[in-house]
Amino acid sequence: MNNVTFSYKKSEIILKNITTSFDKGEFAALIGPNGSGKTTFGKLMTGILSANEGSVFVEGKNIEEISLGNIGKKIGYLFQQPARQLFNPTVKEEIGFAHSFMGKSKEIVEQKVNKIIEEFSLQGLEDASPYRISRGERQRVALASIFINEPSFLILDEPTTGLDIVRKEQLSQLLKSLQPQGIGIIVISHDKDFINKNADRVIELYGGEQHEA
Amino acid sequence: MGVSSMKLDPRTKLVMVFSLSTLAVFVVDTLLLSIVLIISIIVSNFFKEDWGFLNRARKFILLLVGIAFLQSIFSPSGEILFGIKDFTLLTTGGLAKGIRVILRMLVIIISATIMKGSSPREIIQGLIQWKVPYEIAFMVSLAIRFIPILGQEAKDAFTAIQLRGIEIDKLSLTKRFKVYSYMFMPVLSGVIHRAKELSTSLEARAFRAYPERTSYIKLELSKNDLLIMSASIVFTITMLVIYILLR
Repeated sequence: MNNVTFSYKKSEIILKNITTSFDKGEFAALIGPNGSGKTTFGKLMTGILSANEGSVFVEGKNIEEISLGNIGKKIGYLFQQPARQLFNPTVKEEIGFAHSFMGKSKEIVEQKVNKIIEEFSLQGLEDASPYRISRGERQRVALASIFINEPSFLILDEPTTGLDIVRKEQLSQLLKSLQPQGIGIIVISHDKDFINKNADRVIELYGGEQHEA
Repeated sequence: MGVSSMKLDPRTKLVMVFSLSTLAVFVVDTLLLSIVLIISIIVSNFFKEDWGFLNRARKFILLLVGIAFLQSIFSPSGEILFGIKDFTLLTTGGLAKGIRVILRMLVIIISATIMKGSSPREIIQGLIQWKVPYEIAFMVSLAIRFIPILGQEAKDAFTAIQLRGIEIDKLSLTKRFKVYSYMFMPVLSGVIHRAKELSTSLEARAFRAYPERTSYIKLELSKNDLLIMSASIVFTITMLVIYILLR
């Protein structure tokens, strides 16, 4: 991010002159009070929103020149409410959804889906509806669905909301297991315990400005 | 002085919208429909409505033109204007029908913008004072409130689909339509979830516990309201009579 400024309304600047970068394999956390622009920051990084001033670069290329579809192959974005990014009647179809539109053969998709189901401990849920499983499971399904694209970066918006201690621990272990693969992770969160335990770097947003903690 | 500065009762606005929409539905004459559209634009302009929504709805307008085009293909009549071999694509009658569809939809959309200045709370109160059962009036106001939310959710779902690595622009038309159909799942699930939460919350707050509901707001019709309401009704009846006589 290079000198990024963003506002929804002209009079109200949400992010002011933000300059920062994230490396692969890094586990960064984005913290700050409600309305400080954490989710906006994540949306700017994925090209969902466009900066009013400044530029965002993904692997050296200006994000404005990359289509959302292409960004999605590089950056996986987990929404605050995972239900908003689930589109299929079964977990299995959900995980293979993106690949079914990429011209890949059924066998390859099937193989990949089975591998990911195992990696994300979703065995037994293959034929379940993503809307009728627990919140923790739904979140794992959303992550697994993103993961099939083998993104080099993950941005997770409030991933621990509504998770109990056991589920948080499972999520923590899952994310830790992704780091050795060189996947960068940015977690947007209020959960200090989760951040202290997992993040290598903490950025605090306050009054539209960034403060490295 | 513009009509907007008079602060009209929402019931007056409802009568105006109802009058214009009625004409749009019943009149099947291009010239009369054009007149109704011009009147809708003038009235909406009086209320100083923000026309920026037309820019936001430009994709919808394209859809409208598409529907009109399909209408003209599937109901051919009159002289053939354009065709490929034996297949007739455009006829004078079909084109006229297509234009009427566009005019009709524009009248309905533009006349509905008249209501934009009234808050859902005022509209619901207007309906209750018209003896519409308050449960139904409340449902109407909820529906109005949720339209922009549903629009945002559909937009979010579309973004989420693309962020799954699907490059929509590179897909064939059939696959593209298939992708669009997937958007309904999260939107519908959100609607059902929200409806469940709302109904529980309403029950918890004793909604419908009594047949009558006390309201802090009481709307009163002014002379201007009565005048505009009567003018709208007279205008609608006159236009319908002219239309019937001209047929």
